[in-house]
Amino acid sequence: MKPWKRIRYLLNREAFDRELQEEMRIHREMAEEKLSQLGTLKEEAHYAAMRAFGNATLAQEASRAEWTFFFESLVQDICFGVRMLRKSPGFTAVAVLTLALGIGANTAIFSVINGVLLSPLPYKSPQKIVVMKENESLPNVMDIQRQASAFSLGGAINAQPIDYTNGPEPLQIRVGLVNSGFFETLGLPPMMGRIFSEAEDVRGGPRVAVVSYTFWQGYLGSDPHAVGRTITLNGNSYTVIGVMPESFVSPREHADVFVSLWVGYPGAAADRGVHFMHTYWRLKEGVTLAQAQADIAKIDRRLAEQFPSEEKERRTHLIPLREAVIGDVRPALLVLFGAVGLVLLIACGNFASLLVARAFVRRQEMMIRAALGAGRGRLIRKLLTESALLSVLGGAAGLLFAQWGTHMLLALTPEKLIRLNGVHMDTRVLLFAFVVSVLTGVIFGIAPALLAARQDVTGALNENGRSTTASATGHHIRKILVTSELALALVLLVGAGLLIKGFSRLRSVNPGFNPVGVLTIYLQLPATRYAEIPKQTQFRRELLARLNLLAGVQVGMVSDIPLGTNYVDHNFVIDGRAPIPVGDEPEVQTLAVMGDYFRVMQIPLRAGRDFTEMDREGQPLVAVVNEELVRQYFPHDNPVGARIRWARDAGPPRWMTIIGVASDVKQSGLNQPVDPAVYTPFVQSDEVWRHWMTLVIRTDNSSSGLIEQVKAQVWRVDRQIPVSDVQTMEQRMAVSLAQQRFNMLLLGAFAALALILAGVGIYGVMGYTASQRTHEIGIRMALGGQRRDVLRLIVAEGAKLTFAGILIGIVGALALTRVMAGLLFEVKPGDPAIFAVVAILLALVALAACYIPARRATKVDPMVALRYE
Amino acid sequence: MPGTLEMLILQTLSRGSNHGYGIAQHIQQVSDDVLKIGEGSLYPALQRLLMNDYVVAEWGLSENNRRARFYKITAAGRKQLAKEKRNFDALLVGIARVMEMP
Repeated sequence: MKPWKRIRYLLNREAFDRELQEEMRIHREMAEEKLSQLGTLKEEAHYAAMRAFGNATLAQEASRAEWTFFFESLVQDICFGVRMLRKSPGFTAVAVLTLALGIGANTAIFSVINGVLLSPLPYKSPQKIVVMKENESLPNVMDIQRQASAFSLGGAINAQPIDYTNGPEPLQIRVGLVNSGFFETLGLPPMMGRIFSEAEDVRGGPRVAVVSYTFWQGYLGSDPHAVGRTITLNGNSYTVIGVMPESFVSPREHADVFVSLWVGYPGAAADRGVHFMHTYWRLKEGVTLAQAQADIAKIDRRLAEQFPSEEKERRTHLIPLREAVIGDVRPALLVLFGAVGLVLLIACGNFASLLVARAFVRRQEMMIRAALGAGRGRLIRKLLTESALLSVLGGAAGLLFAQWGTHMLLALTPEKLIRLNGVHMDTRVLLFAFVVSVLTGVIFGIAPALLAARQDVTGALNENGRSTTASATGHHIRKILVTSELALALVLLVGAGLLIKGFSRLRSVNPGFNPVGVLTIYLQLPATRYAEIPKQTQFRRELLARLNLLAGVQVGMVSDIPLGTNYVDHNFVIDGRAPIPVGDEPEVQTLAVMGDYFRVMQIPLRAGRDFTEMDREGQPLVAVVNEELVRQYFPHDNPVGARIRWARDAGPPRWMTIIGVASDVKQSGLNQPVDPAVYTPFVQSDEVWRHWMTLVIRTDNSSSGLIEQVKAQVWRVDRQIPVSDVQTMEQRMAVSLAQQRFNMLLLGAFAALALILAGVGIYGVMGYTASQRTHEIGIRMALGGQRRDVLRLIVAEGAKLTFAGILIGIVGALALTRVMAGLLFEVKPGDPAIFAVVAILLALVALAACYIPARRATKVDPMVALRYE
Repeated sequence: MPGTLEMLILQTLSRGSNHGYGIAQHIQQVSDDVLKIGEGSLYPALQRLLMNDYVVAEWGLSENNRRARFYKITAAGRKQLAKEKRNFDALLVGIARVMEMP
């Protein structure tokens, strides 16, 4: 209404109060006088006036309240609350710690969700960018750009390792091979210089490069005059024309420098059949995803008609950029968020239980307040202020946990989760923590506050300690809370159990090779200096020969290492089978190998023979196939001796004779099915573009000295080849398990937290039960009751709660864990073994938590117990 | 009804300034003891009127030479009173109509 009047009141408050008191005193005196004039005795008149006036303090307070701001009484309540909490530090610490764990875990997960799912992607109006699920070739991209009416811009990128040789040691960095529309489609301007023009994005265009912020910082020393400098990539000099800002990250592929595909890799740029680029498209104003999809379907049909041998099977799917970037991590994050929400609920259960217990400790205080005229609403408000104060303190402590928890999370998180937006505590995260804290305090404080403010005045003032109906209600509430906590904990434990089982299944998947003791080194030959197969062969042969001289090692080489992200497919035909229409030939994974690849990886051969030194240039072409290929294409025949060839080769057909069958290898991931695969010798390859390889070295001494020796040998052959991507095969396996490991560890940690909290919860309630029944126990013991009977008495009550909780939890888990189905590997959400183990574990923990107070109860001296009142 | 007490106080004061006890007495007498104003509601109501500048208060001497705090209606207060009277009349008419329906 009139804030300044209120402020004036605040400044003159004492004078005001004095006046009001004075005024009311005069009022009473006038009433008294009047009464005595009417003939009442003086003394009686005094009391009658007092009665007529009513509760003077209350009237005064109500009058004063007209002038005060609402939050003034709030401040009073808070000050009082702080004093109360200071007086009972034990209670405060337990409550704050409980909530801090719950709120901290939630805030940590929320900060990840905030960074990954909620923050907008760092591009210009990112909701207008769509992605083709399928990879594309550049000629197709250019045709689509010309024909599509739905898109205003289109960008394509393929990220590859490339050699950077301006440093002291040749290094592998990643180059993004792009078209000129790439940066414009994403819509971020360069921080310095410019991006490619269309005129530069042509075959034979100038060698120019745009570099990322991190590259500019790390390799160009944050040079403010970086534009115009030259860098050497794969032996070619490129002029830097632009530096992208720090906020620019390529959506799905990490790249340090960007080069036009037409300039960096003209052979692949012109090839319509090689679909290897990720594409991004900007929708025109007002065009919906569905319209664009219809548009692209039309173009698909046209391309399929025009280029049947390459494009017959076209079916392009458009998805929003956000889905493409975070689609596969969203379910995991949401499940984790749900799980951590359950943890908070359990923590809140304990919190409410503590408050209920405390409501009884303070019932006399509440009664006295009520007797002095405090309204019920006012009491409830005071109690709610206190519980909200506790929960905000819990939230503040929780932020510390969260800070630490977020660090842990990031250390565990698969890298792509955090690359785009970064995860940190911003205002949204702080706001989240604050809102959760206050809501927790108020919502879970309501029931205890109602309970505490309920009792009738006379009853409580007279009461001197023992159970009343009100305290029975309170105990009942605590039992319900504990039962719910146990049920929630069971749900979490089941979730964690399922993930652990899935993970151990995944870990025990036979990858088809033995990773122990195998070192892998990725190498790539610069295309310019190794443009012909014989030159590549010479390098490979010499390197293997040199490495074979090292003591105690077995060496091999493969084009694409299992569990890596890269693989090459070919369409193939089998000699003597009915001809297959162009475009319908089956696809197989194709791998080139050299040296003792199968023996190093310990991939057993099921039939036929391994490659030998004799399977070389000029000799008959040979191939080894995997068992899956035999299952699919030679179910009844002996594959050894059969002939196959790639379907689309130009020139005379190059028939390869199958000489052996290798057992299956999980080439594309442990949780992926095995695809049919064909191995061929590197030396017989005619695929010039396959100029990369991974060395595999089995060694009995895994000393780091070996890596240095290998490096030295590589550089003996060619000083310009980077040897920076060195990993053991076991490390590569760990990377491919990272997401599952992350889910499992996190949900496991939450489940453990839930178990502890629920255990503490039931311990608290049973402890209270035991202390309430001390008197009864004393009588039983005095009358000759055995400790065993007393123990059974208390534990039985806990067992009832536990079993109720477990039953409810099982029902809840059956319903809730279904959302996890996508995260599980070869485990059904309803796995009965997991449910059984988890139920038993929870029962044991809960009963142990009951047993401790029960045992303490039996140790009571009957005499003490009987006097205990 | 909210606001009614304030209207009664303003009406009382429109006949001349008075102190709290006087206001309560007046309302009680005039209404033939039907309206008894408890001090628990009188003083909060007076504070609301003060805050809205409908009345002003100053200390003075009562009829029997006793110090008392006198409340006086302001121009804004008279305006407010007129408005509340109109509303109240309309309300009464409305209620009467409802009650007289057979």
